[in-house]
Amino acid sequence: MASITADQKTTKKVAGKDSAGAWWIVQAITGLLLILLLGLHMIAHHFVVEGGLRNFEEVIDYVSNPVIFVLEVLFLIVVTPHAMLGLQSIVMDLGPGESAARTITWVFRILTIVILAYGIWLAVALQNL
Amino acid sequence: MQEAGSMPDTVRPKRPLKSWFDVRHRKVGTWAFALNRLTGIGLSLYLIIHLVILSLLLQGEQGWNDFVTLVKSPFFLTLDVILLFGFLFHGLNGVRVGLVGMGIGVDNQRTLFWVLMAVGIVLLLAGAWLIFTL
Repeated sequence: MASITADQKTTKKVAGKDSAGAWWIVQAITGLLLILLLGLHMIAHHFVVEGGLRNFEEVIDYVSNPVIFVLEVLFLIVVTPHAMLGLQSIVMDLGPGESAARTITWVFRILTIVILAYGIWLAVALQNL
Repeated sequence: MQEAGSMPDTVRPKRPLKSWFDVRHRKVGTWAFALNRLTGIGLSLYLIIHLVILSLLLQGEQGWNDFVTLVKSPFFLTLDVILLFGFLFHGLNGVRVGLVGMGIGVDNQRTLFWVLMAVGIVLLLAGAWLIFTL
């Protein structure tokens, strides 16, 4: 294992007392999954569609496929924590005090939950159109 | 895999925000670190914008189809190419960061970076061609 890296130290700071690199590993795993899921998302939604985007009827027809629904929700579940953890570690790098760091951590946790909840609600709502 | 960069502390900017935009005397590792974060911020914002835009579908056919017509303009297609650049740089640099973080290719990470960037350029050109010709 390589010596601990700067961002591992940052994520350790983000994670507080958690073991070093734990959040870095979460980022790495979600990042790896994202390469696959985002690749699929881009190809299926944009690169095989005439004009690059589906019209309304085509979108509704497409997202009503259960496999697509599961893949898109999975994509959301992977990308949201990855994005929020990333933003959180950038903000933490600005060197907030201990109290501010705790607040920042909670803000990003809440943001993660809100985005996930909204995204999943939207995906379900689209099923019912 | 994005956020985590494998920069040793010697190359991590001491004053991040100012340093990211100060292009003088920077090594490629620092550029990669800064660009990884800038693309990460952009992609995170895009995630939220994307969800908001998808909400247009709930307003019915007219709203969505008007949006689709709008984003097929050359201006928005150019933004799509910039977005694709963000995905590719962030993802491919993330692969390097992940590998190096696991102790793979530590001694050759500069080569690894440029090989991945070469792959990225090919994919970006192919993607840009598709974006403008589909």
